[in-house]
Amino acid sequence: MTTAPVLTVPGPPAAGPGRAAPAAKRADRRSRWAACAFLSPALLLFVVFIAGPFVVAVVLSFFSWDMLTPPRFNGVGNFTTMFTDPLLYKALANTFVFALASVVTHLAGGLLLALAVNRLMNRVLSYFVRAALFFPFVISWAAVALLWKYVLDPTFGMVAYYLDAAGIAPPDWFNDPSWALPAIIGIDFWHTIGFTFVIMLAGLQTVPRELVEAARSDGANSRQVLWHVTLPMMSPTVFFAAVVTFIGAFQIFDPVQIITPNGGPDDSTLTVVMYLYQKGFQSFQAGYASAVSLLVFVVMMAVTLLQFRGARRWVHGR
Amino acid sequence: MGARAVRAVRGPVRVRQIRQVLLALVLLAVGLVMIAPLVWLVAESLTEEKSAFSLPPSWTPSPFTVDNFRAVPGLIPFGRMALNSLLVAVVSTGGSLLVSVMAAYAFSRLSFRGRETLFLIVVSALMVPVQMTVIPVFVLMRTLGLVDHLAALWLPALINVFAIFFLRQYFNTIPRELDEAARIDGAGHLWILFRMLVPLSAPALAAMTILTFELSWNSYFAPLIFLSTPEHMTLPVGLVTLQNGQGGSSVVVFAAITAVVVPVLAVFLVFQRNFVASIASAGLRG
Repeated sequence: MTTAPVLTVPGPPAAGPGRAAPAAKRADRRSRWAACAFLSPALLLFVVFIAGPFVVAVVLSFFSWDMLTPPRFNGVGNFTTMFTDPLLYKALANTFVFALASVVTHLAGGLLLALAVNRLMNRVLSYFVRAALFFPFVISWAAVALLWKYVLDPTFGMVAYYLDAAGIAPPDWFNDPSWALPAIIGIDFWHTIGFTFVIMLAGLQTVPRELVEAARSDGANSRQVLWHVTLPMMSPTVFFAAVVTFIGAFQIFDPVQIITPNGGPDDSTLTVVMYLYQKGFQSFQAGYASAVSLLVFVVMMAVTLLQFRGARRWVHGR
Repeated sequence: MGARAVRAVRGPVRVRQIRQVLLALVLLAVGLVMIAPLVWLVAESLTEEKSAFSLPPSWTPSPFTVDNFRAVPGLIPFGRMALNSLLVAVVSTGGSLLVSVMAAYAFSRLSFRGRETLFLIVVSALMVPVQMTVIPVFVLMRTLGLVDHLAALWLPALINVFAIFFLRQYFNTIPRELDEAARIDGAGHLWILFRMLVPLSAPALAAMTILTFELSWNSYFAPLIFLSTPEHMTLPVGLVTLQNGQGGSSVVVFAAITAVVVPVLAVFLVFQRNFVASIASAGLRG
């Protein structure tokens, strides 16, 4: 039903149906030319801004370079330094704690909220809750981080006031080494829970209704339906959400950099990417920073491969 | 939804109603807690400076004033920054979609040797974190003299590997017979792509537009690295310079945050359905 194109955009002239024998070869060659033309912008940009820089970063990780004087070959020096760098260990530990906490809170919260909202009958309220959950996700981290600095302010912030009113002494969040990271985890939850929630809700709606109804008519109660039908059917979604949350959380930078630009009290909020930024763009150790970035890449790659394997073998229906 | 059929099998009507009310109350509370910081933000930004930040937190501006907003441009070139953000987001989104659509067409419709291998190489770049490429890209931009220019932001954003991947997958779901029919009618590749596949992929393109625009608009890492003068900054980095002193009072900072947040929320409310759908579709297909 595609109508005959009246307006032919200039391009390789189309092969007429009349010429048959040499046409096939010519069409093939033409297709190759077209592929060249269609792909070259993307490939050029790919090489200049991704593949090239990737290779350069790998090479740089074997050099010492202050980004001004010529780079100096350093062998595996950067990597041996990495193994004995206490600040890097601290940053890695913080990042893993943050990422794991992020995965656990987002999965549990997102799943519970999706199950609850899915059961809610009132349309208006359901719309409100969905919008309210998703609102913070569309706001930039810069605005979120600045706002929350005030919300958690120990003297005039609202959290301090309500905690006080409830009889709990509010901590001085960002000056207390044991509360700074949990505060960031909380802010991140507020900011990103809407994303996890939406993914979970979409996953929940792919659970076949007939299965739930069949289980019910066989006498299963709500809890049994949840544990034996809904959750197993949702395993791909949960798994996917876990991987995406982990990858995002492992690269956390914006809020920690904005709220605690120096890494927080006792470096308690220093994350790997923040450390990389400090090394590369504040103390100009481009080689060392590249070595650290290689570490981030290895973690990302491991998680992605895990996702492929998991998606193939463990998860339902793929 | 189908919930009603399920519900019919479940307990007596009264119990169901009580449950619904409890559920509604809990979710209402959750929703209110989620938006509380935003309500507080807007209320304080519209309150006269000497009465702002009173405790208990007030949820309405009293006494009402817009002076705080008038004071923002005195601290940061807000209009200029908004324009910069818009420019970078529009160019990044438009440009990267054009580049991606063409590449996706080649990967989906044109046959050439090494197509699958090349596609795999391009897609594997999804694993490379930005933090890894940023130092070499910074050096490149310095060589080109583009540091502290907006081009340093939108130029690297023109390559969007996720969009190429996503659009190729979408093109693959469109029957090839359509292309062949068009080709027999004398259509060229450009016609097939822009007059046929692109209109047929409107939902996928809308999703990519929303995602790319949002990512660019909210981006903080790259602008922090590439931009240094306030006149060249985008809104997120500009906003953060506010907290580092400049003698601005907290209400003015709140006014600036509000001016950044409210338009975004308004756009979100209008396009909520598409917004959420695009996040979900891009997420679940990944």
